[in-house]
Amino acid sequence: MFSNRYIFIYSTILVIVVAIAITLTSLTLKPKQLENIRIEKMQNILKAANINADKNNAKKLYEQYITECFAVNIKGEKINNINAFNIDLEKEFKKNKVEQQLPVYVCTGKNSEKYYIIPIKGKGLWGPIWGYIGLCDDFNTIYGTFFDHQGETPGLGAEINTDKFQNNFKGKKIFDEKGEFTSVKVIKGGANPDDIHSVDAISGSTITSNGVSEMIKSCLSLYIEFFKNQRQKEICYDKQ
Amino acid sequence: MENLINLFVRSVFIDNMVFAYFLGMCSFIAVSKTVKTSIGLGIAVICVLVITVPLNWLIENYLLKEGALTWISSDFANVDLDFLSFILFIATIAAMTQLVEMIIEKFSPSLYNALGIFLPLIAVNCAILGGSLFMQQREFNTIAEVSVYALGSGIGWALAIVSIAAIREKITYSNIPAPLKGTGITFILTGLMAIAFMSFMGIKI
Amino acid sequence: MINNNNITKNKEPLFSAKNLKLLKGPLNEVNPITIQVLGICSALAVTVQIKPALVMAISVTVVVAFSNLIISLIRNTIPSRIRIIVQLIIVAALVIIVDQFLKAYMYDVSKKLSVFVGLIITNCIIMGRLEAFAMNNKPWPSFLDGIGNGLGYGIILVIVAFFRELLGSGKILGHQVVPQSFYDAGYIDNGLMILPPMALIIIGIIIWIQRSISKNIVNN
Repeated sequence: MFSNRYIFIYSTILVIVVAIAITLTSLTLKPKQLENIRIEKMQNILKAANINADKNNAKKLYEQYITECFAVNIKGEKINNINAFNIDLEKEFKKNKVEQQLPVYVCTGKNSEKYYIIPIKGKGLWGPIWGYIGLCDDFNTIYGTFFDHQGETPGLGAEINTDKFQNNFKGKKIFDEKGEFTSVKVIKGGANPDDIHSVDAISGSTITSNGVSEMIKSCLSLYIEFFKNQRQKEICYDKQ
Repeated sequence: MENLINLFVRSVFIDNMVFAYFLGMCSFIAVSKTVKTSIGLGIAVICVLVITVPLNWLIENYLLKEGALTWISSDFANVDLDFLSFILFIATIAAMTQLVEMIIEKFSPSLYNALGIFLPLIAVNCAILGGSLFMQQREFNTIAEVSVYALGSGIGWALAIVSIAAIREKITYSNIPAPLKGTGITFILTGLMAIAFMSFMGIKI
Repeated sequence: MINNNNITKNKEPLFSAKNLKLLKGPLNEVNPITIQVLGICSALAVTVQIKPALVMAISVTVVVAFSNLIISLIRNTIPSRIRIIVQLIIVAALVIIVDQFLKAYMYDVSKKLSVFVGLIITNCIIMGRLEAFAMNNKPWPSFLDGIGNGLGYGIILVIVAFFRELLGSGKILGHQVVPQSFYDAGYIDNGLMILPPMALIIIGIIIWIQRSISKNIVNN
């Protein structure tokens, strides 16, 4: 029927044609895809400042509210000349602690009150989980949060991206009275509602919940020096 | 180690390929008429998953991911070939099933007689490609994790098909409404079994 | 669908009775999901809401139709020894293109579909149609056959998604349809509908209903 030579040439041509077609599509659509990712990131950052943006107005709202975006190092010093928006946390965490560049987004509300939004990234049960934590300008009270995940179990771990879970964090504190960093823990079996350092876990998703606790603790601890440097006496008026 | 056992239990029971993600349903429905053939197909799926998922993990991490090519030269740090993943994964799977078939045929004709007819079917079994795609999505860190995940998913799938086949053998003698016989009742049974499997959800090791 | 068929009836011979049958058959008599039991693999997980189900249905239709067309065009040149791999490569390439388009223009849906876009490659409908139809038929009928099968698949997907979204979250296409007064009166969304098992049971019931209505469908 067909000779080996024919089969060989046939498959080579096929592979080349297919490769060209795919690469062309991929290259033409890449900018659009990256733009989508950028817009989603803006939406998520705004969410941590309790501003709900959809994909059409995210860019506008972002420019309106996020007034500043810079990076700090582990000592809490600002790093100059860097585009903090494009920092990839994953890569930073692999670096030496001293060289890490940690992004901070500053949101200025309607009454020119300021919120500081810190990106966080960690590991859930099945894969990465990430999010943003919005802090009031006392650098202690949580103003808003956003979490998302890639492939947690639907109905269980996946619930971390619902408002129901995220709203639990509002008003919690990350430092205790003595000024020691305690973070906010996700506690299985129900947290005491008066406890300002813990929230309820989602039942049946221990590993994802632990992942969230660990993520908040490890990421925020990198910023401790920055918080201490910046801390002012103003008290955040919690809107809840 | 604890982590690996946990991963294994979860991939077998909680995130079961069939009951939680409906992967490999076509052959699941078509082949689950008798227990004997189901066992054959189940074993074949386990074998192919255990070979292809770690292999695709290597491809993903040393070839496709952004920055994966740095082992050749640091110039390639920004190359992102992820869009090729589907085609490479499926090619690996097709090639591997072919290879496994040839090896089994050569070294163990009796096993080949039992499994042989299923192997070509497996290349287009969604459970196999699904295993690789979930591996890509879940960003496993070590090859040990990936292998355990592949083994667990395979065993989960085999467990599902064998148990549904056992039930189907039994209900041949039951009085099922005629239009529901065959496929219809199999779907509903699978659904009920999936509900039963959901009770594993809370477990933690 | 009905409208489409009325219009197309005038356009003989492109849409001859035989070609029309290719389009309409898969919707009921030879429906790929309920009768041929193909392509369930990548389908059920995307039926929690109607929107992802619709997008999935369209993606599958596009891939089936075009892979049928392409394979049918080159069917006489394909060496039979590497037949399956050629088919797989073409399908995979089409799926990658669809996936890239979804990521660029329907980012939120593409995130919901996650790995299931990739799983279109191993959707048994596609390979089944390529082997059974496109390899032996001319391009135009193959294309129609692809569209018919894609739609037949899509219809079941959307029906399942309709019930799951309506009963599971009281919404249709994201719009609340169960009024608040129902909830006030004690109505609760059925959370089980959102979970995977119900998709299987709904399909089982659809098969039951369909086979009760048309008795002539042979039971296998």
